[in-house]
Amino acid sequence: MTQNKVFNTQSAPHIPKKNSVAKLMLTLGLALTPAILAHVFFFGTGIIIQLTLAVIFALCFEAISLKLLGKSIKLFLKDYSAFVTGLLFALCISPVAPWWISFIGMFFAIVVAKHLFGGLGQNIFNPAMLGFAVVLISFPQAMSMWLPPHSISPYAMSFVENLQAIFFNQFPSTIDFDTLTQATPLDLIKTGISQDSMMSEITTGIAFGNFGGVGWEWVANMYFLGGLFLIYKKIITWRVPAAVLLTAIAFSLPFYLIDPDNFIGPLQHIFSGGLMLGAFFIATDPTSGCSSHKGQLIFGAGVAIMTILVREFGNFPDGVAFGILIMNMSAPLIDRLTIPKAFGQKDK
Amino acid sequence: MVSSINSQQLYKLQGGIKLPHHKNDSLQNGLSHLPIADKVYISLRINRGNIAKALVKVGDKVLKGQIIAKPDTTNGSYIHASTSGEITAIMQRATASPEADISTVIEITTDGKEQWVLLNKKPINQAYIDSVSAKDIIDSIHNAGLVGLGGAGFPTHLKYTSNDTKINTLIVNGAECEPYITCDEQLMLSYPEDLISGILLMMKASAASQAIFALEDQVGNIKSAIEKHIKQRKINNIIVTKVPTIYPAGGEKQLIKVLTGREVPSGGLPLNLGIIVQNVGTIKALSDFISEGRPLVERIVTVAGDCIGMAQNFITAIGTPMSHLLQHAQFHKDKTHRLIIGGPMMGYSMPDCSTGIDKTTNCILALSKNITQHYGDALPCIRCGECVNVCPAGLLPQQLHWYIKGENLEKAREHHLFDCIECGACAWVCPSQIKLVDYYRYAKSELKYLDYKREKSDQAQIRHEQREARLERLKAERAAKRKRTRRRTTNTDKIQKDLSATMERIQKAKAARQDTKLETKNDSK
Repeated sequence: MTQNKVFNTQSAPHIPKKNSVAKLMLTLGLALTPAILAHVFFFGTGIIIQLTLAVIFALCFEAISLKLLGKSIKLFLKDYSAFVTGLLFALCISPVAPWWISFIGMFFAIVVAKHLFGGLGQNIFNPAMLGFAVVLISFPQAMSMWLPPHSISPYAMSFVENLQAIFFNQFPSTIDFDTLTQATPLDLIKTGISQDSMMSEITTGIAFGNFGGVGWEWVANMYFLGGLFLIYKKIITWRVPAAVLLTAIAFSLPFYLIDPDNFIGPLQHIFSGGLMLGAFFIATDPTSGCSSHKGQLIFGAGVAIMTILVREFGNFPDGVAFGILIMNMSAPLIDRLTIPKAFGQKDK
Repeated sequence: MVSSINSQQLYKLQGGIKLPHHKNDSLQNGLSHLPIADKVYISLRINRGNIAKALVKVGDKVLKGQIIAKPDTTNGSYIHASTSGEITAIMQRATASPEADISTVIEITTDGKEQWVLLNKKPINQAYIDSVSAKDIIDSIHNAGLVGLGGAGFPTHLKYTSNDTKINTLIVNGAECEPYITCDEQLMLSYPEDLISGILLMMKASAASQAIFALEDQVGNIKSAIEKHIKQRKINNIIVTKVPTIYPAGGEKQLIKVLTGREVPSGGLPLNLGIIVQNVGTIKALSDFISEGRPLVERIVTVAGDCIGMAQNFITAIGTPMSHLLQHAQFHKDKTHRLIIGGPMMGYSMPDCSTGIDKTTNCILALSKNITQHYGDALPCIRCGECVNVCPAGLLPQQLHWYIKGENLEKAREHHLFDCIECGACAWVCPSQIKLVDYYRYAKSELKYLDYKREKSDQAQIRHEQREARLERLKAERAAKRKRTRRRTTNTDKIQKDLSATMERIQKAKAARQDTKLETKNDSK
């Protein structure tokens, strides 16, 4: 019998939760704000320019990819996922890196890592990390230009000077090339160790604060704060960050205890480089991470171990990006091995 | 094991969600008897698609409570006329079921007299409970046409006729965890005494040594009212317990977990744990049948939603068209976007309001677009994992979705698809607004079909192999026979040969004799 359909007959649930991907992504952006402010406070306004550039490039590549793939630009630009990718990428690079770093990084992040793998939700690798790894390997010199934080710097760059540096590679004459390179704490350690300096000598240097580098440790604190906010808002769970940070401490501690002159201390590890950002904002990316709860713990632990191995024994000063990319590759396997037992299947 | 169940100790349910309550509107307007409609449409559908057999024909006059259809097998339940009148049609019509399935429906044009069949009333006092046998109660359950009124519609008597397991606990499910629905709460408010009587009968029928009466912790003073009656009747083996209002804590398996800490084995039934779970409505219906003689011909239905002016609970005859109920509750049809039978989490949306209510219809919800509308756009899954956190069955909903979308159904089965209870918590939290439960239902039915086909093809394979074997055997037999025959044939040849040889010999001998005769003749000459 055919009936006249009077009402909508979609299936349950009929009272959807007020939740959306866009809301999720914007909350993530909001959680980054304290760290961005700390960044500006310690390293100047360069980061604002980098953030703007990366987001603009990200959105442009997103729109172009969607257009070429015949997907709805309006629908997918509104999900803010490219926006977040841009933010995360910019926070990994130097505030004075040239503009084309963002361009190339975002091309690999959005076009290659995201859309060539099928777009939103289909990417195997975290887009921001893939983009970052590409520019880090391809342009080591441009990537290692960092300014020391204001408090220990002989000269602080103004907004206009930052613009000139980023777009025209023109630095104020007061800044010599030595100040400009090898300035991140992890870089200093790597160089120091290679010159047979002792860790205690290196870390008493002017660039080091209580647990990490001056300024750096505060940015890391702010990532931690933002991360707690995300856990509170139930955007992420505690599992990945806890696994990353605790494993980093547990794994680096034996090295440090045996040979404190040649190995970085656990606190130095977690408050330096990208580990805190990675732990809360990047390794928690659900698309490229693990889905089972046990899998998430393994994922986080893997990121930490890889990071520390690269920092201590590799050629690069930091290894968070590599750690995350390698664990991204392993995630499907980990998921397969950690299917949770369903209700009523527990052996009892 | 039994006595260890403590009324105070509750166990944690994994997953689950907190939902808006929306129950006050219908509760504050109380319970009333719905006047009988002009026509009622009684569906003959029993659970799992079985159809009861009609015992009446068009033109028959029926009385209220008269049996009008009976099940083909013992796995069904009786269906009674819910009012007096005339059978005016037996037809195929949409029923109050998912997708508004078409099934056989008996139309009764009411005469308005509400004339009952002869009712057999027995007061339920201690003397009655002591004297009645478990079998008599189970027969009553069957004769009253009882099914699970909580929603599944499982024929109640089947729970009591399993001989393999000893039942030790009856769980009385008064925890309605879906928003809006208040028919059970209203029933508990209005009929606490009947409920206690019903519980005692059910306990007698199942030989359970104790009953746990589970209520949501958000209900008002129902607990003390029920406890007062329990105390008055000096009963010491019924415990009233409040459970946290977390959806879906009122689901059968979830409720058992919360109350006892034990999990119904995957693919099993509460019976496997020696537990029977019974909805309060079903219990009240049993008490009605014994004390009043009335079979299950009416139930309490909540009419609610933001398109209902006067949300309330109605005692409604089974088969009453939804339109009749809505009309008495100030229904705003124009505003309504979805008309739902059941709750907002698991209920099914109906295309129109002409369908007659069923024994399992606990609620009719009319919701406007404001409520049913999604907040964001439907997007691909980003694997955020919210669904994993809320799944009460401990599944990985996003992985299931992934595999089903890729038509990798066996993988979905490996990820315990069949342990999904379709509660919809995953779809509710999904930021990408994916209709996850639809995927699971599809995959389940597809897998069942594939299994069925596989079974068939396995059978065909076995049959084929058997046939091959049979042919082979016949061939071998024929060959053996032929061989035997051939051997026999060879033998005849030999005999023939022997025979001809002998004949030759005889001939030769004869000839020789004749020759000698001739010679002698010649010699004598």
